[in-house]
Amino acid sequence: MTLFNKSVIAFSLALSSAAQAESVAIIHATVHTVTDQGVLTDATVVIEDGTIVAINPQSPTADTIIDAKGAILTPGFIASMNDLGLVEIGAVSASRDTYEKEADIIFDPSLAYNPKASTVPFARKGGITRNIVSSGGGEGIFSGQTFTVDLSGNWDSLLAANTGLVVALGASKEGSRATGMQQLINKLEDAKKAQVKKTPKTAKAKDEPSREDSVVNAVLAGEKSLIVSVDRASDILHLIKLKQEFGLDLILVNAADAIIVADQLAKAKIPVVIDSMRNLPESFDSLHNSLENAGKLTKAGVKVAIALPGDSHSIYALRFSAGNAVANGMDYDDALAAVTANVADIFHLDSGQIAVGKPADLVLWSGDPFEFSSKVKKMWIAGEEQSTDSRQDKLRDRYLQKTAMPKAYSR
Amino acid sequence: MVKLMPSLVAVAFSTAVIGCSPAEQQDKKITINANPYPSTYHVLPNSTTLLKNAIVLTGTGKRIDEADVLIKDGKISAVGKQLVAEGAVVINAKGKWITPGIIDVHSHLGVYPSPNAESHNDGNEMTNPVTAEVWAEHSVWPQDPGFNRAREGGITTLQILPGSANLIGGRGVTLKNVPATTMQAMKFPNAPYGLKMACGENPKNLYGSRNELPMTRMGNMAGYRTAFIQATEYKRAWDKYDADYAAGKNPEVPERDLMKDTLKGVLEGDILIHNHCYKAEEMAMMIDLGKEFGYHAGTFHHAVEGYKIADLLAENGNCAAMWPDWWGFKLEAYDMVLENVAMVDAVKNSCAIVHSDSGVTIQRLNQETAKIMHRANENGFDLKEEHVIGWLTANAAKSLGISDKTGSLEQGKNADLVVWNTNPFSVYAQAEQVFIDGAKVYDRQDPAYQAQSDFMLGQQ
Repeated sequence: MTLFNKSVIAFSLALSSAAQAESVAIIHATVHTVTDQGVLTDATVVIEDGTIVAINPQSPTADTIIDAKGAILTPGFIASMNDLGLVEIGAVSASRDTYEKEADIIFDPSLAYNPKASTVPFARKGGITRNIVSSGGGEGIFSGQTFTVDLSGNWDSLLAANTGLVVALGASKEGSRATGMQQLINKLEDAKKAQVKKTPKTAKAKDEPSREDSVVNAVLAGEKSLIVSVDRASDILHLIKLKQEFGLDLILVNAADAIIVADQLAKAKIPVVIDSMRNLPESFDSLHNSLENAGKLTKAGVKVAIALPGDSHSIYALRFSAGNAVANGMDYDDALAAVTANVADIFHLDSGQIAVGKPADLVLWSGDPFEFSSKVKKMWIAGEEQSTDSRQDKLRDRYLQKTAMPKAYSR
Repeated sequence: MVKLMPSLVAVAFSTAVIGCSPAEQQDKKITINANPYPSTYHVLPNSTTLLKNAIVLTGTGKRIDEADVLIKDGKISAVGKQLVAEGAVVINAKGKWITPGIIDVHSHLGVYPSPNAESHNDGNEMTNPVTAEVWAEHSVWPQDPGFNRAREGGITTLQILPGSANLIGGRGVTLKNVPATTMQAMKFPNAPYGLKMACGENPKNLYGSRNELPMTRMGNMAGYRTAFIQATEYKRAWDKYDADYAAGKNPEVPERDLMKDTLKGVLEGDILIHNHCYKAEEMAMMIDLGKEFGYHAGTFHHAVEGYKIADLLAENGNCAAMWPDWWGFKLEAYDMVLENVAMVDAVKNSCAIVHSDSGVTIQRLNQETAKIMHRANENGFDLKEEHVIGWLTANAAKSLGISDKTGSLEQGKNADLVVWNTNPFSVYAQAEQVFIDGAKVYDRQDPAYQAQSDFMLGQQ
């Protein structure tokens, strides 16, 4: 292999100033492609203009060459269904833009997204490059819509808004869960009926669908995912029927008891987003929580994404959840897919794999990405190299210094 | 002067006579039973056991490779190389790691059990800023499935604390993590009681929103001080009663007060303080509060800002129990650093602990510790497994006042230990066997040693 290095000198300078137009070749890497290619040893990945342009090319050229010395290169990890960038501090209401009481079908939390939140660089420490954000809240079953961001922290890091409609079903503090399920069914049926009525002949200008109906119509058309947070198997079975009846792009989140209807889920091609560390019977909806569920669901043919749904402050630890899934029976490659390619597939992102044409969201690890002993050596989001320095590091460094003056004078 | 002598002697003599006079008989001496709900714990069936050829972390800072551990009569009999014991059950532990049993100083298992239901919310007596009269042990549901999950993660001992809504929330209890039908059967024999206190946002927010004191952090301090002033008076009344009775008088018995009983126990050093307290400046004031009333400020739990006052904690003999990475849920948890525990630990005479406060992370305190060890080592520390295991064992035992009984693999200590399938600070590590007082209480390979809660039995 001949490799033309245009600027060997720029090697160390290129760290944070890698302009998009520059090309980077990562050589001698152990590349987990998370594609059918599997793991490539001593491989080269070339990125240019934010995209992966070559893998093991015959004669690659690159402005910058990075010798991985055998280190593991993976796609950037993708977190999902948390409130990253919507909350600085949970208990400080003025820093919290989630759990809006009046959230409804059209609620768009992306309007509140703050790419400069201190949670963003901290999440990058865990090799996370993209995220599907969801808000939660709402007095009814609808909590608004999801949006997708990259974790560059740049002002333009919002990639797509209003990507999926979020619904929460299951145990209700007051009254019956049947009401929630009924609301969802009615909403879908009513919208469907309205569509049938509105043939082009009878449609009039004033019959333009409302904002709400537009969202439901997109769900019915399979253009927008219906993302349902649910745990109990009996509820899941109702949802499987709904998917089949209305042709929904259905995604289940949490799904503690999915394991006992795993075959039905696999057959209906319904993916699940689960917290692989849940193993307590937290409620009567989740008696089958187990550390083994992620692996067992995968083996049953269900597409699994591992996530830390809810809070976003410690999503950097997503990789450890994947490691625990492996420790409890999940195939290693399946676990890696569950934090990369599967998430991308489930939420329709063009990401999560190392393949030509994919965005250059890459992480170079010091060791096994699932291990505590390893760390992110380098990471790129759309080809741009990222820092993993956070406010936490600055605090640590300040208090590790021995100074005569108060710490407030140390930067 | 000389003339008066005989009469003085007579006075002294007559006082002595009055003391013994049948006419002035003393009532029965009243003493407060400090232990009305005693432990009924019994060691489970056990035998002499020899674990061979493991990597042993003693909990005292030592690592011994290819080492054996001999358990006899429920105690650690020896730790060393090539031990022999006639009639012992021999376990080949080659390639495995053995550590002391893990101790969680901050758990709400049993008082906030699974399933999380209204009927089970028994951990926080949120009816008064000071409820020193409540005892967590009176809320413990021994069937909480979380006890079993925790045991599978190597937890052999745990302190169950009340929640943190109150300035003084009530007594905690230290339990052995054995399956049992009653709380008493889990109670760690002769472990001191703990008293839960809480600084900061929780009490001020709860009572402030009810327009009660405390509404502010200064209100918090006023609340603690008021309670300890009352306790000081109460202790004085009982001390006077005891002294007068001992002097032969027949004093009136002070009125019994459950709340003040507990605070009196603190002032007497019998009950250890466990203080939910995040912020550097507040921990410093709580240390001074202890000095003002003559008790020790004990262990700070959740000490997110412990690293800012590591010297102060060590100088005053305070343990700090911490998470690796919980933050951002409250303003007082904003200044998290991943190296907090290592920074608190780095000071001479320190006592750093990793705790859970969670039914989930209690199952992997080894992993929580691994997060800290590796992040700290990336940033200038040189921490080894044999050292950091102490954050979960020896230091935790010290915090609970049971370090003479457990927390390390030393001759004579209770044989509380965990056999791990690999380095316990790997994400892939699993506890394979767990022993409490030399009795096997969990075996990953053997369903006979996998306890199941009544609650989970027969669920479909």
